[in-house]
Amino acid sequence: MTVDQMSTVADRLRSTARTGPTRTAEGPRSSMTARRHRAFYMFVSPWIVGFLLLTIVPMAYALWLSFTTFDGISPNWHYVGLGNYRELMNDSVTWDSLGRAGLFAVVSVPLSIIAGLGLAVLVNRPVKARGLFRTLLYLPAVVPPVGAGIAFKNLFDQNAGATNGVLTFLGFDAVGWLADPYARYVLVMTVLWGAGNIMIISLAGLQDVPRELHEAARIDGAGSWRTFRSITVPLLSPVLLFQTVTGVIASVQTVMPMLLAPLSTTGGITTVPQSNYTYMIHVFAQYFALGRYGYASALLWVLFVLILIATGLIFRFTSGVVFYNVDPEAKK
Amino acid sequence: MRPHAGAPLSRRRFLTLSAAGAATGAAALSGCALQVSNGAGGGSGETITMMVKADDITPELVRQALKDTGVSIKRVDYDITKLIAMLTSGNPPDLVRGVGAVDAAYFAARDVMQELDGYFAGSRVLRVEDLDPVNDLWRYDGTTQGKGPRYGMAKDFSQDSMYWYNTTAFDEKAVDYPPELDPVTYEEWLETAQRLVQRSKGQTRVFGGTYNGLYKATLLSTLTASAGGSLFSDDFSRIDFTTPEARKALAWYVDYCKLKVGASLVLPDPNGWDGPTFQAGRLAMCNSGYWMGGMIATDGKLAKVSRLAPTPVFEGGPRISACQGGTGLWMPRKAKNKDAAWRVFEWFFGEAPAKARAAGGWGIPTLTSLRPLMPAQDDQQKRVLKVQENELEHFSVVAFSPYTTGDSFEALFNQTAPAAMKGEISVDTLAGRLNSVINEQLKRGKEQVG
Repeated sequence: MTVDQMSTVADRLRSTARTGPTRTAEGPRSSMTARRHRAFYMFVSPWIVGFLLLTIVPMAYALWLSFTTFDGISPNWHYVGLGNYRELMNDSVTWDSLGRAGLFAVVSVPLSIIAGLGLAVLVNRPVKARGLFRTLLYLPAVVPPVGAGIAFKNLFDQNAGATNGVLTFLGFDAVGWLADPYARYVLVMTVLWGAGNIMIISLAGLQDVPRELHEAARIDGAGSWRTFRSITVPLLSPVLLFQTVTGVIASVQTVMPMLLAPLSTTGGITTVPQSNYTYMIHVFAQYFALGRYGYASALLWVLFVLILIATGLIFRFTSGVVFYNVDPEAKK
Repeated sequence: MRPHAGAPLSRRRFLTLSAAGAATGAAALSGCALQVSNGAGGGSGETITMMVKADDITPELVRQALKDTGVSIKRVDYDITKLIAMLTSGNPPDLVRGVGAVDAAYFAARDVMQELDGYFAGSRVLRVEDLDPVNDLWRYDGTTQGKGPRYGMAKDFSQDSMYWYNTTAFDEKAVDYPPELDPVTYEEWLETAQRLVQRSKGQTRVFGGTYNGLYKATLLSTLTASAGGSLFSDDFSRIDFTTPEARKALAWYVDYCKLKVGASLVLPDPNGWDGPTFQAGRLAMCNSGYWMGGMIATDGKLAKVSRLAPTPVFEGGPRISACQGGTGLWMPRKAKNKDAAWRVFEWFFGEAPAKARAAGGWGIPTLTSLRPLMPAQDDQQKRVLKVQENELEHFSVVAFSPYTTGDSFEALFNQTAPAAMKGEISVDTLAGRLNSVINEQLKRGKEQVG
């Protein structure tokens, strides 16, 4: 085939693509498109139904509850409009718990990202038994929270814990780790203990950084730290942004470590030390200890809106520092 | 325009269909939830649903129930959230576990409990004259717990303000044992605990004593009663920690926490309860009633050094020795299978399981006729039984408010009190704050009940 002939065929194909199928082919093609659509919707429908049933319906129900005094069992609950929202605006316990949740996020998210990234950098190096180290460092992330909680309780028990054993051996006085004000430090340690999750994601990101960029930087005379700062971190920035956003959302919603690690008695939600009494613990207490389903639902809706705002702010403030290999806006 | 058959689904149509599917699914799920009880009449061959803990009804007991009564038991794990869902959907279990001291008035006031007086009147197993007074915790007359119709029954009980002590801890510190049958004062108890505690470098080797009650609500209301007062107003719609008696009780408990002689919110015990610490010989006095003898009896060494002591009193106050639990069963008003449930109720409280519990030493039987079964074979058991029998003469029901739950009280107290336990606020300030937050909760509860 000559170049002219090829050009003619290509022109015809382009022309066909522009004008669409001929009238005679419309029936079967339309039917195929319909089948494709049906197949698509059938495949996604379990998720859509699940989303409606398990997310939208409960959210709508919680929204309705937030306008009532419903407590699950009493006969005389009633509609109070925005009463619950007005009450939470004036509830100092709510704002204090929100402040603690914010502080926890501000401290735990950067720390766990730094720890996870640091571990990822370490296990990304060509060292002996690298696979073993990766497994060992990831292992705490798969330990069930209850097991981790019991381990931390025993580790930090004032009278029989290993931590105080070391402290007293060194001549220091024992510390009441599981009570105020130290319980908050134990909580942060509990979160850091599970940094293996972040390590795995960061490790995947690190392995995606083109090796030639590091080599080029090295040829230009950049040291390890400079290469890490100017090449690795910018190329990892989308991963770090993802970890920041999901980390903030997860840390604000954290409940289990508060309940398990520094828990004093079997009293559950009612015995969380004050320093770990965060927003979600407050919500949990309103639902399950005080039976205030309406008020607790209002608290949850406020948290939902706050998380949306926080996520938006994070995206806005990081837009200038996050570097994408592929421009996410390109297809728009 | 209506889409024709075979046409591609539009997004809008798809979402509409999904919503319809979700609604149908929700209805189907709700329908499934209705299938808890078989809804048939009572008697042999029936199946009932019991919402209890695994220890309450073991698989062996389920088999025994079928053999003894002909009724099959389907056990559902006790879960208050699930219970509320089942109650509100109109499909409650046939029998539900509950703590008489804090649950009975709460649920009865909300009209979800079945009055059982008619069943008791016709029963040859559970005769009213045979019922121990502790079962009055399951009575409620519309205002006050302890009076009126019966809504449930306790499976066994203890007088939960009593305490056990370890003679070795007393001997080590050359402290006299408490009198066997006469109570010490709460102030003396605290002083003794301070003498018994063994500390070094900020660590406690042996705790002097724990005193936390079963719930803060029951602890503080019984302490207040021991000081000669009442924590609640006559109609149980308000609380007052500023009365001299309630303040005295509160101040004593705050002192106990401040002195750190035993576990509290500011000195947590990672075991979660006192049993393991007492068993390890690291707790000199342990606030638990007769039921803990069941655990102690399984450890010969521990049994030799363990003694039960009467509930302390406040100087000049009455001798009050209440039950802070009275855990048992109640029947929801909308239970589908009441007659079969009552048959199991009789069996559980008056037949083989009740006799086994009485002989086990894990609690005082709630039928007076079963008391001879309480263990009294060896010297230790005889000594314990003597103290316990003497203590029974001082039993009384300390009523709790129907307008709040034990958990609500606990949550609000635990949120407010640590500041006083750490010395950051005075007892008077704490009393004022507790009045404020708990009265707010009681007010909401009263509005809900109507």
